[in-house]
Amino acid sequence: MNENLTPPPNKMTVRNLNFYYGKAQALKGINLDIPERHVTAFIGPSGCGKSTLLRTFNRMFELYPEQRAEGEILLDGENLLKSKHNVALIRARIGMVFQKPTPFPMSIFDNIAFGVKLFEKLSRVDLEERVEWALRKGALWDEVKDKLEQSGASLSGGQQQRLCIARGVAIKPEVLLLDEPCSALDPISTARIEELIAELKRDYTVIIVTHNMQQAARCSDYTAYMYLGELMEVGQTEQIFLKPSRQETEDYITGRFG
Amino acid sequence: MNDRHLASQFDEDLNVISSKLMEMGGLVEMQIKLANQALKSFSVSQIDDILEAEDKVDLLEVDIDRELATITVRRQPAARDLRLLMAISKITTNLERTGDEASKIAKRIRSIVETGEAREIALGDLHSIFDKAADLIHRVLDAFARLDVVTAVTIHKEDDQIDHEFKGFTRKLITHMMEDPRTIRSCQDLLFIAKAVERIGDHAKNISEFIIYIVKGMDVRHSALTHVDIDSVVQLPS
Amino acid sequence: MDALRSSPSAVARVLDARQAHFNRRNRLNYFAIVLSMIAMFFGMFWLLWILWETVSQGVAGLSIAMLTENTPPPNEPIGVGGLGNTILGSAMMVALATFIGAPIGILSGIYLAEYDPRGKIAGIVRFVNDLLLSAPSIIIGLFVYEIMVVTLKEFSGWAGAVALSLIVIPIVIRTTENMLALIPSSLREAAYALGTPKWKVITRITLTAARAGVLTGILLAIARIAGETAPLLFTALNNQFWKTGLSGPTPNLPVTILQFAMSPYENWQQIAWCGVFLITFAVLALNILARFLTRGVQASN
Repeated sequence: MNENLTPPPNKMTVRNLNFYYGKAQALKGINLDIPERHVTAFIGPSGCGKSTLLRTFNRMFELYPEQRAEGEILLDGENLLKSKHNVALIRARIGMVFQKPTPFPMSIFDNIAFGVKLFEKLSRVDLEERVEWALRKGALWDEVKDKLEQSGASLSGGQQQRLCIARGVAIKPEVLLLDEPCSALDPISTARIEELIAELKRDYTVIIVTHNMQQAARCSDYTAYMYLGELMEVGQTEQIFLKPSRQETEDYITGRFG
Repeated sequence: MNDRHLASQFDEDLNVISSKLMEMGGLVEMQIKLANQALKSFSVSQIDDILEAEDKVDLLEVDIDRELATITVRRQPAARDLRLLMAISKITTNLERTGDEASKIAKRIRSIVETGEAREIALGDLHSIFDKAADLIHRVLDAFARLDVVTAVTIHKEDDQIDHEFKGFTRKLITHMMEDPRTIRSCQDLLFIAKAVERIGDHAKNISEFIIYIVKGMDVRHSALTHVDIDSVVQLPS
Repeated sequence: MDALRSSPSAVARVLDARQAHFNRRNRLNYFAIVLSMIAMFFGMFWLLWILWETVSQGVAGLSIAMLTENTPPPNEPIGVGGLGNTILGSAMMVALATFIGAPIGILSGIYLAEYDPRGKIAGIVRFVNDLLLSAPSIIIGLFVYEIMVVTLKEFSGWAGAVALSLIVIPIVIRTTENMLALIPSSLREAAYALGTPKWKVITRITLTAARAGVLTGILLAIARIAGETAPLLFTALNNQFWKTGLSGPTPNLPVTILQFAMSPYENWQQIAWCGVFLITFAVLALNILARFLTRGVQASN
């Protein structure tokens, strides 16, 4: 990795973000820039708020009435928390993949087509083309091209997770949020997903939450370390893993945390 | 600052490697000390001890490298741990070479003593350089054990003085050789010894750079190249 | 543990002590198994007896005529007449009750699980639903008698169907809510994360995923009302004629069984046993079907 004399432009910017679960404050004054077409990893111990932060980016927390966010989350300069657009349109721009694979109860083809049909009216041919494109993006096409009519649940765990990534990619988002996408997968499937992440960052801004520090070291360009709802440190991944500037980060990275 | 890993076995492994490195350092230090004494007293009685220690140093180098590979593959060290292990790997190489230099010196001393020449040449400058180099090695190992950046920076600068004195001594030997060509053979031996001593100083300097790398995470090697002001390093956050 | 590392004789001692302990536990285990087996056989004995009685008494009178002919007058020879009119009446009322009750139950279940799972209204609905679920069915019969039969001055199949639907609703509400609550929230979130509107998340994702469970709930509700007698006594009453509509007293199996079984006439008693047999096996078939469907649910999760 070079020294990045000109840092990449920011796709998302978080300013003074506070987040509450009822009365409990889960995020405290987060300020963070997410560079475009790079992979940013959030690491930190359980309960540090990394998943919570990720879930504010597509306003997922709004599903739960007791959760609330204050501050600004800018996507290309527009504050998502006070957007005049419908939240569905925001979520179409910011895809999300979850910890456990979540295939919809329908065929592999329909799993991909479902999201596309929400936002676009495509002819059958165009739709088929889009499904193939998305499955190729998800590095799954060769494995499922002969069984598109089978249920999504019939795939293996790793395949299901790639199906979910393909489903997110199919609606052509700009940002992909990955919430511990490999924690339920075996090492081979994990390696495939990591390889896929490296592919995806050519077109998308990727943000990944992971418990696995080695995973963050392997596949991210920038790493943010969070602890107790605060962003302790963010920087280039090499820097964070070789010479973090804060003692707390160093202790966590080297396993002295506790 | 928290000095203990969650996995205490990791701490133990690191301790084992560090103590092996200190053992290796102790041996090399002893080699240098014996060589310095042998040169001062023109005696060959301890030359064999120096050469014997060389074998032990080589074995330790191999041993430490194996342990480094093991701990790396088992623990995937990061940050300070990674810097420490990388530095240890480099320091063992430098120590092993320092030991080599001590052995070379020992062999040259034997050659000088056996031919019986060079006794008339004033060696005060060489003794001074040798004392300084031995002192640098001693202090740099000490600084490593305590991860003392201040001392490391001092050592880094003091090596320049050894280089300077080495050049002076070289000029002096050349003068000797021109004045009295019969001394050329022993002067050549002395030149080799002086060069080896100068190299020992360089190794001490290299090791001091790795101490800075461990603590400050900054690579100050070839500082002319990286434009690092060595004095300012101490002020950096560690 | 230290003992195990010391001498061979110490090892043997420790192993012996453990073996003795293990033997004691084994005996206790055996005793507990025997006790629970006895309890199980006690329960099974009565169930099997009932089933045996049903089969042995019911199969004898079973014939095509039994399924097609009308209920006979008393004191006819055995073999004359059947349960055709009551089967049709019951089927019509059960179908209508399901048709009314299932949609209401499913929609209410969706409200409870998806729209307001922790709200005040949901709490009240849940409480009332639990009451309704455990209310004696005769009360439901009386209630419908009061509001329909008395006001319209006529017993009718319509009233019977309404009474049965009041039994269907709480069962379907409960199973629908439970089945939807079983759907992992991550699946719901994944659908929302694509920008899916709520109604579509429910119809296409969660309800589809819970489909087998919801269907099972409906089947169980049908099985339950197929044998209900009490609510029909005050609503549909009974009738011994062939009847394709639901107005006026409507023939139905449960009340017919009650009436015929209580009668002193031998031919009626025989027909009652046949009815019992038919209902028992219809319910059994529905239960097996429901089992089969839920197995599918577990496999897909």
